[in-house]
Amino acid sequence: MFASYSTRLIAAVLCSFVVFASVTPFAIAQKKTAPVEATPPPVREEFKFGDVDLEVLQQSDLLDTKLERDGLLLRDEAASAYLRRIGEGLIPKGLELERVSWKFRVLRDPQPNAFALPNGSIYVTTGLLSLVDNESQLAAVIAHELTHVMRRHTYVQNRSNRKKFLSMNIMTAIGAYAPGGIVGAVIIAATTIAPLIVMATVYGYSRDLEREADLKGIDIMITAEYAPEEMVNVMKLLDKDIEGENIRLFWNDHPALDERIKYMSSYLGARANKVTHQMELNRERAAYFSQMEPAMRHDIQLAINSGRFRSAVFHAQRLVDFHADSENLFWLAESYRTLGPRAPQLTERELTNSAKKDAAKQHEKRTLEEEERDLLETPAGKDNWQHHQQMAEELYLRALKAENPVPVAHRGLAMLYEKLGRANDAISEYEKYIELAPSATDRERIKRRIETLRRA
Amino acid sequence: MIPILSFRDFKMRTLFLAAAIIGFSCLSTNAQFLHPKVNSKQTTVRTVVVMPAKVTVVRDSMKGPEGMAAESDELSTRVEKMISEVLSKQKNITSLAPPAPGTGSGDSQPNYSIADFQTKFDELLPKIMKKRSDVKKGRFSMGDEVLNLNLEKSTDAIVFIRGEGKKLTGGKTAFNYLVYGTPAYLTLRIGIVDARNGEVLLYTDPTFKGDPTTAIDRLRKALEKGLKKMPTVTAN
Repeated sequence: MFASYSTRLIAAVLCSFVVFASVTPFAIAQKKTAPVEATPPPVREEFKFGDVDLEVLQQSDLLDTKLERDGLLLRDEAASAYLRRIGEGLIPKGLELERVSWKFRVLRDPQPNAFALPNGSIYVTTGLLSLVDNESQLAAVIAHELTHVMRRHTYVQNRSNRKKFLSMNIMTAIGAYAPGGIVGAVIIAATTIAPLIVMATVYGYSRDLEREADLKGIDIMITAEYAPEEMVNVMKLLDKDIEGENIRLFWNDHPALDERIKYMSSYLGARANKVTHQMELNRERAAYFSQMEPAMRHDIQLAINSGRFRSAVFHAQRLVDFHADSENLFWLAESYRTLGPRAPQLTERELTNSAKKDAAKQHEKRTLEEEERDLLETPAGKDNWQHHQQMAEELYLRALKAENPVPVAHRGLAMLYEKLGRANDAISEYEKYIELAPSATDRERIKRRIETLRRA
Repeated sequence: MIPILSFRDFKMRTLFLAAAIIGFSCLSTNAQFLHPKVNSKQTTVRTVVVMPAKVTVVRDSMKGPEGMAAESDELSTRVEKMISEVLSKQKNITSLAPPAPGTGSGDSQPNYSIADFQTKFDELLPKIMKKRSDVKKGRFSMGDEVLNLNLEKSTDAIVFIRGEGKKLTGGKTAFNYLVYGTPAYLTLRIGIVDARNGEVLLYTDPTFKGDPTTAIDRLRKALEKGLKKMPTVTAN
C-alpha cells in the first residue's frame, strides 16, 4: 500500500488540499465576526427547500409533538396567551413564510434558555421567564429566536454542517491509509488536526448566525416599539451564573458576552434615538410579574426538584419582594429549607472556570444527599444549615399567618421539623396538612411519613 | 537515539489497542447490579410498572448524524413491550398499566408528575453510570416522592428505560469497513426502582451491535441477558 514515490506524492497533495479546504472556511469565519453595521433583510428570500431541509422540518414537527406528549410544556393559559401576544406583535406585519406556522410555548425547564425550531415553534423555558425583569426583555429573547426562523438559520447551518462532516470523513479515510515515513507522519498529523479545525468552523459559523440574530432582533424590537436597550440587559441577566454552571469550553455557540454587549451597544447607538425611562420600565416590570407569577412559582418547584436550590432562593426572593402573599412566602421557605447547608451565593473563587469544572465533576459523582452530608461536616456548612432552617421556619410561620394561608406550608413545616428531629411537631403539622388538603396528590406519601414517625 | 516507530508497527499497535478496548467493552456491556435487599430476598419484585421508554436513534451518514424521531418513538414502544414480555415469561413478574397521562388542559398534574419523575431519573442516571457497582451497596435512591405517582398499591417496582443507538447508511457502513469505524448499535440503560421508597433495586445496560430499528431478535436476547440476575418470582 502506498509503496511508490508517486503514490506518496499524490497522497501528500490530496492531504494538503483537504487541509487547505478546511482551513479556508475557518479563516473566513473569523473574518465574518468583524463589526457588522447593517443587518440583512428580515427574510432569506432566496431560500429554496431541498429534501434535506424537508427532513429537518419533519423532525421539528415530531419534536413539537414529543415535547407536548412528554408533559414538558407548561399548561398555563395566561402565560401562554401572554407569550403569544408578545410573539405575534413582533412578527413583521403581513409576513408569510413558506412552511412556518408560528407557535409560542413555555417549556417546563428551570434552566434559563430559549430556542426556535425551523417550523416556527418558539420555546421559552420557565427558568428564563423567572429570570427576566420585564416584557421588553422577554420580547428581546423572542425577537432573537424569530430571526433564527425568518433567516432560516437552522437549514443554513444544517447544510453547512453536512459539508463539513463529509470533509471530516474524507480526512479520516486518508489518515487511515497514510503511507509510512515522514510523508505518512505528516498526513496523519494533518488529518488528526484538520477535523478539529472543521469542528471549529461548524461552531464558528453558528456564532456568526447568533450575531445576525442579535442585531436583527434589535431591529425587530424597535419596529414593535419595545425598549431596544433591554436586549443588552437581558444578555447581562443571562450571564448571571447563579449555579456556577456556565463553563467555557473550547468553543461556545454564542459569542462571548463582552463581545456581544459591545457590538450590540455599538449597533444600538446608531438606532435607538431615546432611552426608555426607568419609571416606565418599573411599571412594565410590575405588569410582567403579575402575568408570570404562577409560571414563576411553578419554576421554583422545578428548580428544587432538579437541585438548583440557589436559583430557587433567588427567584422566590424576587417573588416575595414583588408580592409577599402566603404562597410566595411558602416558596421562599421551601427554597431555604432545601438549600440546607449550601451557601446562598457562590463566592468569586467558586465562580472561576476551574472551580466550576471541579464542581461539575463532583456533581456527577455525588448524589444530593451525599453533597449535603459532606457539607454538614464543615463549620460553614453547619452554620448555613442552621441559618437556613431558621429562615425557613420563620417564613413558613409567616405564610401560615398571612391572608388565605396555603395548606402546603404545614407540610413544609412538618418536613423541617422531621429533619430537626422534632417528631411530634412534625406529625401534628403533617396531620393539619392532610386535614386541610384531603385530595392532595401526595396524601399517600404523607400518611407513610406519619406512620414511620409514629413507629420511631 | 530515539527509536522511530515504523508505520506498520504503529498500525499493528493501534489495531491491538482497538481490539483490546472492544474486548473490554464487550465484557462490561451486560453487567447487572442488584440492591442487597433483592439479593437477600428482603425485597421481592412481583409486579412492576414500566414507565414510557426514552430511546433515541440517529442515522449516521457520511454527511453527519440525522434525527430519526419517528423511528425512535417506535423503538421506545417496542423496548417497553419487550421488557414486559421478558419479565413476565422469564421471571414471572407482572407488568401493570403505567399511570395514564392527562388529556385536557384541566388535568395537567398527572402529566407533570410523570414528566418530573422521568427527569429525576435522568438526573440520577449519570451518577449511577459513574459507579454502577454502588447499586450493590444500595447507594442510589429517588426518595419517597415515588409515592406521588399514586400507582396501584400492589406495585412493587418501577422500570425506567433510556437508550441510544446508531443506524448506518450504506455509504457509512462501507466507509466504516475502511477505517474500522463504530458499527451500528443500541445501548439501553435500565433502572428498576422500588415503588415504595425509591431505592434503585437493579441497574443494567444491555448492548448489542446491529441496526437498532430492525434487529428485533438481538434486542430480545440482549434484554434477556441484561435481566438474567433479576430473581424469578415463585408461585405461592
